[in-house]
Amino acid sequence: MSTTLPIPARRRLRRLAGQDLPTLLAAVALLIVVAAALLAPLVAPYPADGTTATHPAASLLGPSGAHWMGTDAVGRDILTRVMYGARTSLFIAAAVLVLSSTVGVLLGCVAGYSGGWVSDVIMRVTDVFLAFPALLLSLALAVILRPGVGTAIIAIAATWWPWYARLACSAASTIRHRAYIDSARCLGLPRWRIVAEHVLPNSLTPVIVQLSLDAGGVILTAAALSYLGLGAVEPTSEWGLMVQQGQSSFTTEWWIVTFPGLAILLTAFSFNMLGEGLRQALDPRKVAR
Amino acid sequence: MTTATAHPVAVRRTRRRSPGLGRVLLRRLAHAAVVVAGVVCLTFVIARQLPGDEAVTAAGARATPEQLAAARERLGLDDPLPLQLWHYVSGLARGDLGTSLHTRQPVVSDLGRALPASLELVGSAMVLAVLIGLPLGVIAARFARRRTDLAVRTGSMLLVSVPVFWLALAVQLLLSTKLGWFPVAGEYDRVLDSTSPLTVYTNITAFDALITGNWPILLSTLHHLVLPALVVAAYPTGVVAQMTRAALIEESQQDHVRMERALGFRPLEILLRFSLRPAISPVLTLLALIFAYTLVNSVLVEAIFNWPGIGTYTADAIRSVDTPAIAGVTLVIALVYVTANLAVDLTQIAIDPRTRKS
Amino acid sequence: MKRMWTLLAGVLATTLALTACAGTTRAPSSAGSTFTYAFHLNVVTEWDPAVSYSNESIAMANLYESLTRYDAAAKKVEPLLATSWTKSADGRRWTFTLRDDVTFHTGRKLDSTAVKESIERTKKLAGGAAYIWDPVSSIETPDPTTVVFDLAYPVALDLVASSGYGAYVYDTQAAGTGDLAAWFKKAKDAGTGPYTVDTWTAGAETELRLKAYDDYWGGWTDQQYRAVEFRVTPEVTTAWQLLQRDDVSFVDRLTPQIFEQATTTKGVGTSETSSFQNLLALYNTASGPMADIRVRRAIQMLTDTKAIISALHGAAAPADGLIPPGLIGEGDASVKPDATVAKKLLADAGYDAGHPLRLSLTYAQGDKDQGLYVTLLGSALKAAGVQLDARPMQWDAQWTRGKSADPSQRQDIFVMYWYPDYADPLSWFANLFKSAKDPYFNLAYLEDASVDASVASLPKETAIAPAQAARSYLDLQRRIVVDDAAVTPLYLIKYQRAYSADFTGYVDNPAYPNVVFVHDLRTK
Repeated sequence: MSTTLPIPARRRLRRLAGQDLPTLLAAVALLIVVAAALLAPLVAPYPADGTTATHPAASLLGPSGAHWMGTDAVGRDILTRVMYGARTSLFIAAAVLVLSSTVGVLLGCVAGYSGGWVSDVIMRVTDVFLAFPALLLSLALAVILRPGVGTAIIAIAATWWPWYARLACSAASTIRHRAYIDSARCLGLPRWRIVAEHVLPNSLTPVIVQLSLDAGGVILTAAALSYLGLGAVEPTSEWGLMVQQGQSSFTTEWWIVTFPGLAILLTAFSFNMLGEGLRQALDPRKVAR
Repeated sequence: MTTATAHPVAVRRTRRRSPGLGRVLLRRLAHAAVVVAGVVCLTFVIARQLPGDEAVTAAGARATPEQLAAARERLGLDDPLPLQLWHYVSGLARGDLGTSLHTRQPVVSDLGRALPASLELVGSAMVLAVLIGLPLGVIAARFARRRTDLAVRTGSMLLVSVPVFWLALAVQLLLSTKLGWFPVAGEYDRVLDSTSPLTVYTNITAFDALITGNWPILLSTLHHLVLPALVVAAYPTGVVAQMTRAALIEESQQDHVRMERALGFRPLEILLRFSLRPAISPVLTLLALIFAYTLVNSVLVEAIFNWPGIGTYTADAIRSVDTPAIAGVTLVIALVYVTANLAVDLTQIAIDPRTRKS
Repeated sequence: MKRMWTLLAGVLATTLALTACAGTTRAPSSAGSTFTYAFHLNVVTEWDPAVSYSNESIAMANLYESLTRYDAAAKKVEPLLATSWTKSADGRRWTFTLRDDVTFHTGRKLDSTAVKESIERTKKLAGGAAYIWDPVSSIETPDPTTVVFDLAYPVALDLVASSGYGAYVYDTQAAGTGDLAAWFKKAKDAGTGPYTVDTWTAGAETELRLKAYDDYWGGWTDQQYRAVEFRVTPEVTTAWQLLQRDDVSFVDRLTPQIFEQATTTKGVGTSETSSFQNLLALYNTASGPMADIRVRRAIQMLTDTKAIISALHGAAAPADGLIPPGLIGEGDASVKPDATVAKKLLADAGYDAGHPLRLSLTYAQGDKDQGLYVTLLGSALKAAGVQLDARPMQWDAQWTRGKSADPSQRQDIFVMYWYPDYADPLSWFANLFKSAKDPYFNLAYLEDASVDASVASLPKETAIAPAQAARSYLDLQRRIVVDDAAVTPLYLIKYQRAYSADFTGYVDNPAYPNVVFVHDLRTK
């Protein structure tokens, strides 16, 4: 990937790290979330609670030395489940972004490079998908499918790919008529090789910026789907699901709702902050800032 | 959901090539028509694929197989798909979105009642977003790269990143249950129905109360509106602040600013008198699009505050897998979104000839 | 700013187009003391009393009346529209004597013809709970206050007539020569009850208002509520906060923790009653791994109902058998949890670490209490090396899968609530455990000839020899739960209500789930 970043961008990245405090803090917070996700089985106080274990006798305990964030309705440690929830959320975000950017970039490159009716058809289809606010279409799709992490991923990816198609399409169409593409064509290179070797790499920089900007949005949408009962299901640890499960006892057991909600806020905030920082550092149009 | 801020701008930058007002308008309208046709097909597919079986619900839980078959026949569920699509489209043309399975009412009349309540809520939230977000953006731009800017940037990013359903629960618990400053839920105090009954024209309660001079209900509605509107406003406020700040900073690098500075205007004056006007236009056009997103976000908020809008309706529909209702809501919101997009583009084309070219 | 205004105008125009432009006043016609019921779901899905079979019973019970009413506390059928009744020695001929001072809200006087007509219409429409009248072969009306029912086989018809669904007596001539079903659709009622419909707005927060029927035969005093309001309040915490602020008079459902808080809150009354509604785990006795009775026994022993009930913190009571206390034939028919024996049974059946057992389970999507059971069961099974594939589903989908013609498509464990339409235990057995060619509600797919024989003889036995029927029911429960291991009754729902201390006289009658008979209340 590093080859696609021009040198000045690296310098700007370094400057960013040195000067922009909130971005730096966001990066640190994100590192903590990622570490919690990766190391959950090792560092969580009750690793079994993150998956299938239950302790009905210890249900609904408030925060204490034994359970820093209290326990839920079946006696599971909230801190453990918040850490395992990070695994779920980051996994969903990664899967959605990989899936939607792959599909989107491929279609977009083809559309942008080909032009003509191929481009028209592909872009009209993306227009139709873009006519739905993201949460709405994910929601309708998630109702069709069986609730679960996989469903959430597919439903969200289905609403996210058009953005990438569009970005890649415009990036690809701007270079379509560049001299080196023409010469490649004159050399008799097959179409797919021109797309793969020249068009694709050139559309990657805006896509990378977009990926970092989108992660926070994906995490919020996934939490919203789970909150509505259309995403992750028991016994998966998922933040939106935990908020939903604790909602009816919020006035009496505040901890079940509070901590997963804070986890969503912190993670989405860090991704968004970092994405903004990256955009300013990498987007050539914003150099002047 | 930060994508909502970044993308629509990109969308508009990539389009528009041909000159000539008439042709541009035609092209844009044709494009919108194609999108609408696609949207209708997609909602049809969603409606047909949803697991809620209309026949089972229509015939009742203990229906016999014969009664079920009769219900399927009556609802046309055994017809070939193209015929079903035709029935669906011709129904739409007649303003028929089917009958909701959970309220047993026509979806159109359900939406006719729910949409105004949502517009009231989301509309107030948008007003709040502009009233709070715009000044925040200006302040941040004035003190760019200083501590105030940092605070605004962090604050607005928090607003954009907060899960609204969680914020709604927290705000409700703190400000109404614990402190008792605001009502817990509902649209207005129902006791007023007997002491000062409301005459309904638009179903937007605050508006109806205002035009009929029904002050008790107007005050009660506004009081009930504060909390949900604040929660719904979180996301648009953050976006408006961010966009205003970015647009102003970009504008301040224009040549005219250097000249104004040379002429001795103070920085805030320059911002407000010269930079705000050109910078604000893309922010305001964005509002139309944020509006549609916020309408969907209200699905996560309205039910918590018992607000009788489209969000509560959708949440109920999801719970009872109400196929026609979900398809209806999806279609209507998508249409609102397409129309908003079209209106923004058309006004922009009409006002600013530059946008006609690439 | 111009385009903002354009947009705003557009939005407003759309709104105006969507709503009726004529102004209508949202005003109730009766003011004064109002009883406000905060219900957690939409109230009315069906206005026709013949086919009504859903949430609206909480309103219907105040609009309509049946011949009799079941008193769950006294375990007795009480008179309502009928003052007395007798049965023949073989239990196949029942004679009811009617009150002579009753009028319908339409003005018509109640007589035997009206009763005959409404029951015959209900039977003919065959929707909702109309099946309760199946034993009735003919109805005669020798005089205006006497109705005689002839039955094809003996049943306790006084109990049937007390049903909360399908037993309402209504004016079949309410629409005159018009279509009665269409007339009901316009939110009208043709009952004899103390209240009549005032306003109904589907989907609104205050969905339904009822007003007093002045000529009600039971009469009115100054201490009674003249109006009833149903307010849809899905969130428990919201409902509780509304009650504390005296915005509502009654909340039908609370969390155990909030209920606990309510019992010590001043100005709030509470009531806790064991219901007739139990949660059942039906095991697939016909196909899949659970066709092996050792596996079924093992799962029964791995199900710790005490732990489930303790995690529900008081929202549930133990179910020792299929029949809830308060109905004929109740008694202990339960299996003690024992993980050691369960593991041995599983090993005997050929399942171990090398050949792990996988079971599929379906339950109601969005039901937190069922979710809690499933989570606990999954955890206990995991510890015994069994993988549980639990799937939350909408009822339609869950039921369709359970009824699949292809047995390999069916689930291993089906979780659902069951409660009788009238206070009689036959409902559990005739619906859930009688063998049938195509599955309907018998989702344990049990085929046991001795069970079938008992189910066939019990209605008659109940009508003629109740004491013997009670023993037969207990034997039948033991046969199904212990010998066949076809089901685990998990727990009984406990109704926890909170209400304003402004009134007295509230009695929670589990035979009419969630119903408040508002006319019985007295304000302070």
